[in-house]
Amino acid sequence: MDLLKGTLDMLVLKTLRLGPMHGYGIAKAIRTSSSDALEIEFGSLYPSLKRLELKGWVAAKWETSEHNRKAKYYRLTPVGKKQLQQEHSKWTGFVAAVSRVMEPAS
Amino acid sequence: MNFWQRLKYLLPRFRDDEERDMQEELASLAAMAQRGELGNLTLAAEQRREAWGWTWLERLQQDVRYALRTMRKSPAFCVLALLSLALGIGANTVIYSFMDSILLRNLPVASPESLVLLNWHSKEPAGIRPNHVMHGADGSTWTDRNGKSSGIFPFGAFELLRKNDAIFSSLFAYYPTEKRTLAVKGQAEIATGEYVSGDYFRALEVPPAAGRLIFADDDRVGAPLVTVISMPLSERVFAGAANAVGQSILIDNLPVTVVGVTPPEFFGVDPDANPDFYVPLHANLVMDGTVSWAKTAKTYLDRNYYWIEMMGRLRPGVSRVQAQAALAPQFQQWVAATATNQRELDSLPALTLKEGAAGLDTLRRQYSKPLYVLWTMVGLILAIACANIANLLLSRSAARQREIAVRLSIGASRGRLIRQLLTESVLLAVAGGALGLLLSFWGVRFLTLLLGNGQENFTLRADLNGHVLAATFVLSVLCGAVFGLAPALQATRADIAPALTGNRVAAGTGHVGLGMWRLSLSHTLVISQIVFSLLMLVAAGLFVRTLSNLQTIRMGFNREKLLLFDVNARQAGHRDPEILAFYAGLRKRFAAVPGVRNVTLSHASLLGAGRRLELRVSGTPALDTWILNTGPGFFSTMQIPILMGREIDDRDQPGSPGVVVVNERFAKDHFGIENPLGRRLTLGGPHPRDMEIVGVCANAHYGRLKDDIRPVIYIPYNQGDYPRVQQMVYALRTSGDPRVHVNAVREIVRQADTRIPVMNVRTQAAEIDRTMNQEIIFARLCTGFAILALVIASVGLYGTMAYAVARRTSEIGIRMALGAQRGAVMRMILRQVLVLAAAGLAMGLPTALVASRLVESFLFGIKANDPLALVLAVAILLCAALIAGYMPARKAYRIDPLAAIRYE
Repeated sequence: MDLLKGTLDMLVLKTLRLGPMHGYGIAKAIRTSSSDALEIEFGSLYPSLKRLELKGWVAAKWETSEHNRKAKYYRLTPVGKKQLQQEHSKWTGFVAAVSRVMEPAS
Repeated sequence: MNFWQRLKYLLPRFRDDEERDMQEELASLAAMAQRGELGNLTLAAEQRREAWGWTWLERLQQDVRYALRTMRKSPAFCVLALLSLALGIGANTVIYSFMDSILLRNLPVASPESLVLLNWHSKEPAGIRPNHVMHGADGSTWTDRNGKSSGIFPFGAFELLRKNDAIFSSLFAYYPTEKRTLAVKGQAEIATGEYVSGDYFRALEVPPAAGRLIFADDDRVGAPLVTVISMPLSERVFAGAANAVGQSILIDNLPVTVVGVTPPEFFGVDPDANPDFYVPLHANLVMDGTVSWAKTAKTYLDRNYYWIEMMGRLRPGVSRVQAQAALAPQFQQWVAATATNQRELDSLPALTLKEGAAGLDTLRRQYSKPLYVLWTMVGLILAIACANIANLLLSRSAARQREIAVRLSIGASRGRLIRQLLTESVLLAVAGGALGLLLSFWGVRFLTLLLGNGQENFTLRADLNGHVLAATFVLSVLCGAVFGLAPALQATRADIAPALTGNRVAAGTGHVGLGMWRLSLSHTLVISQIVFSLLMLVAAGLFVRTLSNLQTIRMGFNREKLLLFDVNARQAGHRDPEILAFYAGLRKRFAAVPGVRNVTLSHASLLGAGRRLELRVSGTPALDTWILNTGPGFFSTMQIPILMGREIDDRDQPGSPGVVVVNERFAKDHFGIENPLGRRLTLGGPHPRDMEIVGVCANAHYGRLKDDIRPVIYIPYNQGDYPRVQQMVYALRTSGDPRVHVNAVREIVRQADTRIPVMNVRTQAAEIDRTMNQEIIFARLCTGFAILALVIASVGLYGTMAYAVARRTSEIGIRMALGAQRGAVMRMILRQVLVLAAAGLAMGLPTALVASRLVESFLFGIKANDPLALVLAVAILLCAALIAGYMPARKAYRIDPLAAIRYE
């Protein structure tokens, strides 16, 4: 399934609520939690991480992974949390509106 | 914060660190993931770099580098384009900086936008005098289609209007003093000043540079004489503002105390005036009372004598329209009471309030129309230059068709390519603009010199300020976009296939056929250049013809080897009747200078004169008679033939019988075929002056050169006390170059009286040239512009044809191989040139006919549709087109059919 424009950022932020993750982890996590319905292209996920970092919504840091490998971990910032809430409520409103159109109450 | 973060990315070190960091991260992720699971990592990295938001800059850098590279490859094109652009933009900058200084600049005072200028407007009065409530005036009025307008008022109107405290925070008045003799420490010089009401400086909110400015208390009858001088004057005569305060100077031989100095940027309220000193209004009772018969206490009371100018500062919240609505009825009521008959009531002046932010509009009235004409011309030049560069770019982009096609086919987007081509043209334009700015630096000085033409106190000053620089920059970028866009669009529209297969004929810029060709963009550009050039040529022709008409006007006197200069003995303190002897004595001394053949004097030079007084011919008024007060030997010095009787000579002394010499026109108007000699004229005034006609002279020009011969009478300056003798203009007829006598003249005047400066030294020929200043400028500039336009357009035509021949080499080769004569080929090319020229002429001629009407008021002796100017313009244009087309045609003539076909 293709992503709606602008939803990728929200998905990344939501995924990072679970805790710091590296880029590959985020891609896998989104795929798993959507039960493989959303195929996230790494080619678009990776640049979006930098965009979010520049906006100050996520912070990045080199850390050592559980397999004793070095990886860059992304973590949600307080500003990012607020942003996520906003995006979430906007998304909910959007979905509700679309549903009202698609399945009018009879 | 994150903007700084982004900005840091522009630092190479930070970027390198970031890049390394990214590569490490990608490597670590690739190690975790399965092979190929992450997709194209190079693309991901590239997109990650874009996330910083600087890609546009990078691309711009690339584009600029690419543009510079292509420019280096064709230096001839670049030099040509840069030069024509620099000339075009430079010329526009020069004219714009003049427009900026005249039409757009505000007075350098606090909140100038709340200033309003008081004017009046009335219908042009008809019928016999008195027909207007303005019975007498000192100041300028101007007439247009709708009637008479002016900024001068009776003093009573000022007293009436300044009571409006609710509208004005201040209403102030002023009027110019005209030229005065100023003496400081025994050194005399000429200065101009301004009489100002006590509120003048307070209302304008000008701070003094030193001392104090004029207060309300200074402006009353009997107050001690004080003056405020300008910064330049204080520096010239006192070596600084601080030294000037408290000093005493002599203005027309009257001691006046300098109490302060105005700031350097302040020039009064008239950008055309730039006074050297300011004196309180009521000081005119002392300063002018002895000099002029008009400025006495009576002037303050006479409600029909117009002389004072007014400006007001509106209270906050009061608009100009509101103020006018409130004041106009007051003035109307007041002025109606000053009318003395019904005719005056019919053409009563009505008060109007104009924006005062820019001060008086003297300069604007004088120069705005000529500047608009010049602006149009330089605009046309720039248009021609742009069309030319667009054309050159077009033929070059056609040559690059293949490269562009390759890039399009491997996936470059059209927008990207257009941007790249545009970068190149904008770069060219900005470089041309910079060069043009450099040129305009000299251009402004040159035009100032040209407009000033040696006038001593020329006030028009233009400079290259922020406005002008910004305007030039915008103009350059705009030009670049304009001349770059069309070729870029055309170049990237090309079909890829024929360009790639190298089919040179089909890959052309739009015209495919062999014999008949369609109108392409390139041809449109060439035709428009021809149209513009034709306009310029016609304008040049009209202005050159106007100038030559003016130069061949028969003056009626000999203008060669004549030196003129002004001397004002009254301002230095000479009084009646001694002043007459003084002037006569000077004349004797000048006559003794070796090389001087004749000397005379008159109250004004013939071309500078304009005096009309009440005159009666045997009792009946002779309206519109012009007067020149002359000294002995006037006619022999000016070499105006005496037709009957004698000229005024040394016999005519203060006590001897009154005499007058009239010109032929006056004699004919008043006496017809009768003999005018011995007839009597009476000059009005306090003591009417009775004169006998002793001579009739041939007609000579008096006043404005463009006007017809007027009826003029010449009367001895030393007979009678009316009009009173003031300044005199001496005329020296010399046997050689008159300018070599200037030092001798100055020395003689200095010996006679050190207080008197010699003013306005000029030759008669130079004075005549000065009256034609505008025509000379127009003729010279316009000829220059027309030549420039013609050269640029010819280069454009040449380029287009040369390119067409190059592109059609093989076609022409085939034609020749099939038996076409070389001459026929050449004729074919020339025919195309002529068709283009004819198309340009067909569009240009009607345009020229319409456009020339707009400059009709600048012409003299010819109509706007002067056939000679039109025919000449067309002939010159056709010649230029043929010359431009001849070289490509000869190239076509020399094409070797075998080589041409083999090349294909």
